[in-house]
Amino acid sequence: MTMTTTPAVEADQLVKIYRGGVRAVDGISFSVEHGEAFGLLGPNGAGKSTTIGMLTTTVKPTSGRATLGGIDVASNPTATRAVSSVVFQDTVVDRPLTGRQNLMLHLRLWGVEPTAGRTRYEQLSDAVGITDLLDRSVATYSGGERRRLEIVRALLSAPQVLFLDEPTVGLDTRVRHDLFDAITTIRERTGVTIIMTTHYLDEAERLCDRLAIIDAGRIVACDSPRNLLASVGAEVLDLRVANPNKAIAVLRGRGIAKQDIAVTGFTVTASLRDVSAQQISQALNEFSVTVQSATTRRPSLDDVYLRLTGARITAGTDN
Amino acid sequence: MTATTATATPTILAAPTISRPTNVVPALALRRLALTIRSPRAVAIPVLAPVLFALIVAPALGNTLGTPGQHRTYMTFVALAAAGLLIPVNCMFSGLGVLTDRQQGAMRELLVAPIRRSSIVLGNLLAALVITTLQVTVLIFAAALRGAHFHSGRHLLWFAAAAVALAVFVYGLAETFATKITNAEEYTGLVPPIAIVPFFFAGTLYPITSLPAWLDGIAKVLPLTHAVALFRYGLTPQGTQALHNIWGMSDPTRMALLSLAVVVAYAAITLTVAIRLFTKSGTN
Repeated sequence: MTMTTTPAVEADQLVKIYRGGVRAVDGISFSVEHGEAFGLLGPNGAGKSTTIGMLTTTVKPTSGRATLGGIDVASNPTATRAVSSVVFQDTVVDRPLTGRQNLMLHLRLWGVEPTAGRTRYEQLSDAVGITDLLDRSVATYSGGERRRLEIVRALLSAPQVLFLDEPTVGLDTRVRHDLFDAITTIRERTGVTIIMTTHYLDEAERLCDRLAIIDAGRIVACDSPRNLLASVGAEVLDLRVANPNKAIAVLRGRGIAKQDIAVTGFTVTASLRDVSAQQISQALNEFSVTVQSATTRRPSLDDVYLRLTGARITAGTDN
Repeated sequence: MTATTATATPTILAAPTISRPTNVVPALALRRLALTIRSPRAVAIPVLAPVLFALIVAPALGNTLGTPGQHRTYMTFVALAAAGLLIPVNCMFSGLGVLTDRQQGAMRELLVAPIRRSSIVLGNLLAALVITTLQVTVLIFAAALRGAHFHSGRHLLWFAAAAVALAVFVYGLAETFATKITNAEEYTGLVPPIAIVPFFFAGTLYPITSLPAWLDGIAKVLPLTHAVALFRYGLTPQGTQALHNIWGMSDPTRMALLSLAVVVAYAAITLTVAIRLFTKSGTN
C-alpha cells in the first residue's frame, strides 16, 4: 500500500497586504492532513476569509506559499481549483435557475463524467435531504436549503479539499444545527478534507479535529479543541465587579492566576487551574473589592481566545 | 430493561470520474441564456426601440423626406440602420448580467472553477451574440414586412460579419465597464453615451457627408459608421455609397474589407481589454 505523505493543504508563511497597507494575513503557516477537519477560528477581520481566499486562488498572496494536494496555488491555480471546492460565506447560486441546473453547471465546469455526476448528486442530495427541491427555482429555497444545495454542489466533483467559509453565518439556530448535521454526514460519507472558518465556537468545537485560532492575521494557537480547552483548565470563574481594573491589580499583586485572567466589561474571568474560587474571593475581600456575582463554569473556546489575545471572539461578532 | 442502539455504518460514496473540463464556453453561454430567458424583459426591451424605428420612424421619415420614388429607399436606409442601434443597446444591457452575477449570482463559484477565466467572458459574449442574432432577425423581418427592400445573396455575409464584430466590440466595452463598475445605476447611465449617441453620427439617418467636416472626420473613426456601411453593402441594392462616403474609393470589395478590418480591430481591442480586466479582477 502506498502512503500519501503530501499534506492535503499546506500554508507556509502566507502574507496578504491589501492596497492601502492593510495587513490582513501576517505570516500564517499550517498543514492539514487528508480527511482532517481543520478550523480557522477568530472574530470578523481576523484574516480567516483572506486565508481561504489565498488557498482558493481568489486572493493573491503578497508573500509565502501554499499547496493543495501538493499543487502550488500561485503557480498552478487552475489545477488547484480542480481539486477543491468552496462553500462561500454568502449564498453564491443562480437563484432564477433550479437546483438541478445549478448542480449540472458545476458538473460541467469541473469536468465530472455526466452519468456518474448525476448519480453522485442524487446520493448527496438524498444525504442532506434536498432531493425534493431540485426541480424548484433556487429563489424559492429557504436560507438553510440554499446552503445544503451549495454543500452538495461543492462535493459533486469529489474534491480533495472542501472549504467552508462561515457556512452557517446568518442562519437561525435550528437551521444551523440541521446544516451542521448535514456537514457531519457528508464528511462521514466522503472522507473529504475540510477547512472551515467560523466564529461560532460550538461549531468549531464539534466539527474540527484541529483549530487554528487567528488574531490580527496571525495564528496564536493551533491544536485540537480538547487540548486548547485544557490549556485554560477544567473550570473558569466569572466575577462581576464594580471596578474590574482594581480587581485585576489585586489578583495580580497577590500572584493569583497571573496569565489566566482577563476582563471583558465588568466581568473578570479567571482560570481555576492553579487556584480555587475561594482563594480569589478571599483576596478580593481583603482589598475591599465588591463582588456582585461569581459563577463557575466549564471553559469555552472563547476563554481560550480571551486568554491568548485579551479579547473575546464574540465581542466582535453576532454570536 | 436493556436498550440496544443500532449504529448504521454510513456508505462511502464513490468518487466520480473527473476529466479536464471541455465545452466550457457553450456551458457558460447556456447558463447565461437560461438566466436571460427567465427575464423576458431583458430580451424584449432592447428590441423595442429599433423595431419602432423600423416600423414607424423609418416609414414616417421616408414619407416626410423622400419623393414618392425615394420613399421606399429611404425607409430601407433607416430601417437597416436600426440594427446599428439594436446591437449596441442589447450588448450594453447584456453587461448588466455580469454585475448581477457579481452581486447576487454565482460569479464567485465560477471564479473558483478549474477553467480559464476568459471562458466566463466568452460564454457571456456567446450568449449575447445569440440573443442579438435573434433580435436582429426579428428587426429585419419586421422591416421587410413593413415594406423595406432588402436583397439577399453572397453580400449577406458582409452584414453578418459586421454585425458580429460590432456586437463583440460593444460587448467588450460592456464587460469592461461591468468589471470596473459595481453599481447598476452607474452602469445603466453609460448606455446612452455608448450605445445611442454614436447612432446619430454614424450615417444611420443621413449620410456622413451631410455632417460638418469636423464631425465627418469623427464619424469615420467610429466603428458603428463602418458597421452600418457594411450592413448596407450586405443587404441593400445601393449599398456601396456608405462605404464610398468613408473611403472615397471605387472598389467596393476593398472598401468593405477595410471597414470590416476596422470593426474587427475595435472588437479585438475591447475584447482583449475586457478579458484581461476580468481575469485580473478575479484575484484580489
